Amino acid sequence: MLTNYIFIPIIAAFFAYLLNKKVKYTGGIITSIISAYLLYQLIGLYGKWSLIQTINFSLMGNNLEFILGNNPLSWLFALMTASAGLLIALFSIKSQEKYDLSSAFNFNFLILIGSIMGVVLAGDFLTLFIFWELMTWTSFYIISGGTKKMAKKSAYRYFILSAVGAYTMLMAIIIIYNQTGSFAIGEAAQYLINLPTGKSLLLMGMMSLPFLTKAGLFPVHIWVKGAHGNAPKEFSPFLSGLMLKVGVYGLLLVFYLLPFFKVMENTISYRGLPILSYIFALFGAITTVTGTILAIRQEDMKKLIAYSSISQMGYILMGISLATPLGITGGLLHMMNHLIFKSAIFLTLAAVIYRTGTTKMYEMGGLIFKMPVTFATYLTAIIALAGIPPTNGFISKWVIYQALIEKGYLFLALAAFFGSIGSFMYVFKPLSTVFLGQLKPQHEKIKEVPFIMQLPMYVLMGLMVLFGVLPGIQMNIITKISSQLGIESVNYSLYTIEGAFGSWNSMIIFNVFTAGFIISLIIFMLAKKSKLVGLLDTYTSGEYMNDAEAYHYAYQYYRPFDRLFDNFAARSLTRAYESLANNLSKVGNALRKGIITGNGQTYAYYTVLFFVILAIAGWII
Amino acid sequence: MIEMLMTAIKFLLITIFSSALGLLFMGIARKVIARIQKRYGPPFYQPYLDVIKLFGKNAITHGFIFDFGSIMALGGVIATLFFIPLGGWYLYSMSGTVILVIYLLAIASLGMAMGTVGSGNPQASLGISRALTQMLGYELPFLVILFGLIYKYQTSSIVGLMEAQAGGFMNWNLFTYPIATIIAFIVLLGMMGKKPFDAMIAPSEIGSGPVVESGGKYLGMMMLQKSITIIIELALFVNLFLGGAENILIFILKMLIVWITATMIGSLYPRFRIEDGVLFYWKWPLMIAIVQVLFIIF
Repeated sequence: MLTNYIFIPIIAAFFAYLLNKKVKYTGGIITSIISAYLLYQLIGLYGKWSLIQTINFSLMGNNLEFILGNNPLSWLFALMTASAGLLIALFSIKSQEKYDLSSAFNFNFLILIGSIMGVVLAGDFLTLFIFWELMTWTSFYIISGGTKKMAKKSAYRYFILSAVGAYTMLMAIIIIYNQTGSFAIGEAAQYLINLPTGKSLLLMGMMSLPFLTKAGLFPVHIWVKGAHGNAPKEFSPFLSGLMLKVGVYGLLLVFYLLPFFKVMENTISYRGLPILSYIFALFGAITTVTGTILAIRQEDMKKLIAYSSISQMGYILMGISLATPLGITGGLLHMMNHLIFKSAIFLTLAAVIYRTGTTKMYEMGGLIFKMPVTFATYLTAIIALAGIPPTNGFISKWVIYQALIEKGYLFLALAAFFGSIGSFMYVFKPLSTVFLGQLKPQHEKIKEVPFIMQLPMYVLMGLMVLFGVLPGIQMNIITKISSQLGIESVNYSLYTIEGAFGSWNSMIIFNVFTAGFIISLIIFMLAKKSKLVGLLDTYTSGEYMNDAEAYHYAYQYYRPFDRLFDNFAARSLTRAYESLANNLSKVGNALRKGIITGNGQTYAYYTVLFFVILAIAGWII
Repeated sequence: MIEMLMTAIKFLLITIFSSALGLLFMGIARKVIARIQKRYGPPFYQPYLDVIKLFGKNAITHGFIFDFGSIMALGGVIATLFFIPLGGWYLYSMSGTVILVIYLLAIASLGMAMGTVGSGNPQASLGISRALTQMLGYELPFLVILFGLIYKYQTSSIVGLMEAQAGGFMNWNLFTYPIATIIAFIVLLGMMGKKPFDAMIAPSEIGSGPVVESGGKYLGMMMLQKSITIIIELALFVNLFLGGAENILIFILKMLIVWITATMIGSLYPRFRIEDGVLFYWKWPLMIAIVQVLFIIF
């Protein structure tokens, strides 16, 4: 029964809310149990690809049909949702003990999980739209419950952008329904392929807008920084790790299941790729570069990682827009890996916030000796994000590079290289300023987070290394998805992937890496044992230094680099949108003043004018 | 079992050979610089004495991350070394692609960065911030050139790219794509921290940056890491642009020529400010590289 996946969390939400009001911690426990149950059920659902459930519903004489279906793509997203939900719920049991809105958080979070299940399992556009809206609403409430001052404003911005996208999609859906009499995705695809190219593209463009917004892609990425930076600390991992990917799900739907690429095939192309698809990939490239440059500038660690999410989403869009076997494989791999390492990063940041209560990087330092597990997780996650072997992040980036070089898309590859090398810079900033360096005197008494909060970190750390050595596990489901989308799959085994110019063998790399490390360790052990001294006992060019706070290099870490891009960063797209809105409302005001004068005489003229127009119209027709 | 033992011995031999060769190159460089400055200079075997001496000294550490960082830095370069074809010696170079090598080198950089910043000295942090910024400068033109070569020869393995230049020296990329080679050489200067691009170690400004806190065995390990890194970078350049070599002696000769040229150029120029260095890389090498690669693609 596919409805279970949607309605069990939604019903449980009410219990979680009521019980959590009475007894602390119960909300988080219920959320974890429900997510674990969903995860267990979903694993059993693997392989049952022809499962379809329809619900007929009659409303005022109109017969509506709601379809839910299980296919590899939906299954993967449902699995990702349940597992991310489980890890974050486990984390939030303890981390929300001082959070006033924890009942509301769990209520909304469970409904959110249910609604994402609804979105990804939906077999028709009506179901998809209903749950899409439910998802937007619940996430809006969670974000606006953030403890920061800007939380409400950012949530509002997120909501408005999502709403614009959603209503554009609704219009497209209704137009298609009018013509075909059905909401089903399959019939819509049939209808769209027979339409004239221009009309069909317009409709599909309207459909893709909400997904582009949700995925945080250029030019509608402006909500991401505020929403990720100001959301409750437990929700940022879910928002970045998973909710951005729901946008990718929608884009895959429009690109492949709706025949966007089929319709495009006969239009003008650039190096074998239809020009409009190339433009989508180019959007991905711009997203990557913009996200990277802005991430390097940030002083707030959550906003920094939020921009990094924008930049990584650019890779995924580049991958899936290429419509080659390697491109789609790379995009999907990167999507799964991004979920893992980005949730890990945001969870470690949440742990740091839980202990220190701040997100400003220059207010921290030297936490490594106090929070070693958190540090280890962060380190593994950034190695994965920066795409350094032997972690999972490198494999997906390697496949995307292969896809880009195979086709010779120089400018896309340049953006990908820029994002990748730039990511070394921005991930090193929190590492250096939060975890390394001098410990602040006020943080002397900090301890590692409780075990229940470490548990998700251990799991994610294990996954990063596991998928770094055995990418074949992920490739199983990806091959199924690509055959569902009508794309050939690449050759792979448990630990090799066949690229366009050479293959990837993670086993050799892992072994060689271990060997190198052991040789180095032996050299280190053979030498004399060294003496441990404090962090303030360093070379200071002769100065006497006893103030740890002043002896920590953290503020404006990459100032020389930022100077290069000061002009670029000043020209913010957010401000451009805001000034556009202001100008629009000015024009509206001016029009209103001209038409609504408050004079009875004018209105009398309008009435006469109206009748004259009617008469003329009647005469012509 | 025997096979594993043989592999382990091969690993050790290649590590020892490359670090010895790298230290020799460092000694030769000191001699060359001294002669340019009209000094006599230390004997060419001075780096060997330095390393031996350093491993015998008492050292101080600033906590486990300081130790872990130096182990990771050396381990990273040793691992990278096994993927590089050295003359006729291929260890794992058949399965290693050139993109992989560049990213494996990043492990070493990350380890070094983490260890030195973990010492708590802000001068080390400054040096690392400069080094990472400069990396964004020089890697882009290099990756663009690699993009062109991979697209042209339809292979991304280093051995494949080397074999594509076989058959006489006129087939070397040095002669078929001279502009690309010059750009790669400028990139090589930045990679090795040679003079116009040495803002990250600037001894007179920030106390040698990343090296500031290292002493005793830590400095010794850093020297070993530096020596192997030199060999990796030179070998990469020789393999990609000078056609590699079947014979290890010819290979060493080619590396030595590149190394001495780089050292000579490095001792002539003053230092770039960090953002000027990045801007330089983006303005000239990157733009020319893009034009060159567009020629290759179309």
